[in-house]
Amino acid sequence: MIVGEQKPIKEILKMTAPHHKLLVLGCGTCVETCFAGGEDEVAALASLLRLASRKDGRSLHIEEFTVERQCEDAFIAEAAEAVARNEAVLSLACGAGVQAVARRFPRFRVLPGVNTTFIGVLEHRGVFTEECSGCGDCQLAMFGGVCPFSRCAKKLLNGPCGGSRNGKCEVNADTDCAWHLIIERLTALGRLNELRTYVPPKNWQPSLSGGPRRLIREDHIL
Amino acid sequence: MSRTFRLFIFYCTRAFENEAEFAEFPTAADPALEIHAVPMACSSMVKDLFLLKALEAGADAVTVWVCPEGACRHGEGNLRARKRVQRVQSLLDEIELDGRRLTFFHLAPGDRSSVMEILREISGALVRMGKNPAGIRKDRLEKTGSPQQNILKKPKTASKPNLDKGEPIHDRR
Repeated sequence: MIVGEQKPIKEILKMTAPHHKLLVLGCGTCVETCFAGGEDEVAALASLLRLASRKDGRSLHIEEFTVERQCEDAFIAEAAEAVARNEAVLSLACGAGVQAVARRFPRFRVLPGVNTTFIGVLEHRGVFTEECSGCGDCQLAMFGGVCPFSRCAKKLLNGPCGGSRNGKCEVNADTDCAWHLIIERLTALGRLNELRTYVPPKNWQPSLSGGPRRLIREDHIL
Repeated sequence: MSRTFRLFIFYCTRAFENEAEFAEFPTAADPALEIHAVPMACSSMVKDLFLLKALEAGADAVTVWVCPEGACRHGEGNLRARKRVQRVQSLLDEIELDGRRLTFFHLAPGDRSSVMEILREISGALVRMGKNPAGIRKDRLEKTGSPQQNILKKPKTASKPNLDKGEPIHDRR
């Protein structure tokens, strides 16, 4: 799923300040799972915005609506009437959802309420880990179902680097060494000899990160 | 401006058992307190939305009472409640509504002296902070229903569209 986190409330307040009628539009798929933009988050954010505007003596009418998916036009259309009643849309979807809503309603200002972070998995409640870079050329079959592009801090295609300790990455001790996992998986599958094949360099854009990113929602973990 | 302060108490029924006592509290602790009590089967039921809605509905302060540490019958309910309260406190600080309007206390059943102490503490803090500047006015509140009704109001969600219809979808403006 796509993992994101809600933008800081001060940034949202600044973005929405010029508007007096605002639709907070949720997305019931990925961002709901990571507690960033589902129905509950829409209601809580709307409540917080109302409190902030009342405190400042500002007139702000907020409408709340959540669609199943903001990245699909058929679902977005459900919000058309609600959009029409407002001046702007604060979308709590990922970047794709925000753009899809903006495309559907070109005469309305569509504001992003979520920072889209990565494609990842729910490791355990409140902890999400990046596991896919969306490189467009998946080679997971070669690596036993563990992606070295997104999970190895050095993005080695012919690993391991030799720096891991007790199965953990030397760049970040909280991160599992991807090559440790690859070797474990291929050994279990009886296919370790496949690693003898040289993997040529991949033509891919430089990464923005020094390894897999992690989003921790402190209030959901113990 | 009225000197009465509206206090919402979200409480775990294991931490505080005698609901009838709420009626006596304003007299015993501070007559200026108008108490609205919301019982919970476990404090883990408390959500950020409920706490924010209480402030929207006119609460000047909100307090969450949970059972003592290690005494939650569901194991971790009071720990989860504490984390949620902390998150909402920081959000209130960010919008400059003052996170101290929201408090959290562990209570043992029957510990009436702690209850009185907590209420006096909240009352003192409210005198310093003043009324909630973002709370709904009482005249509007009477039109929109009771504070409890406001808290539980459900937002709108789209029904699942029928994707089999295959009809073109246009902006209906």
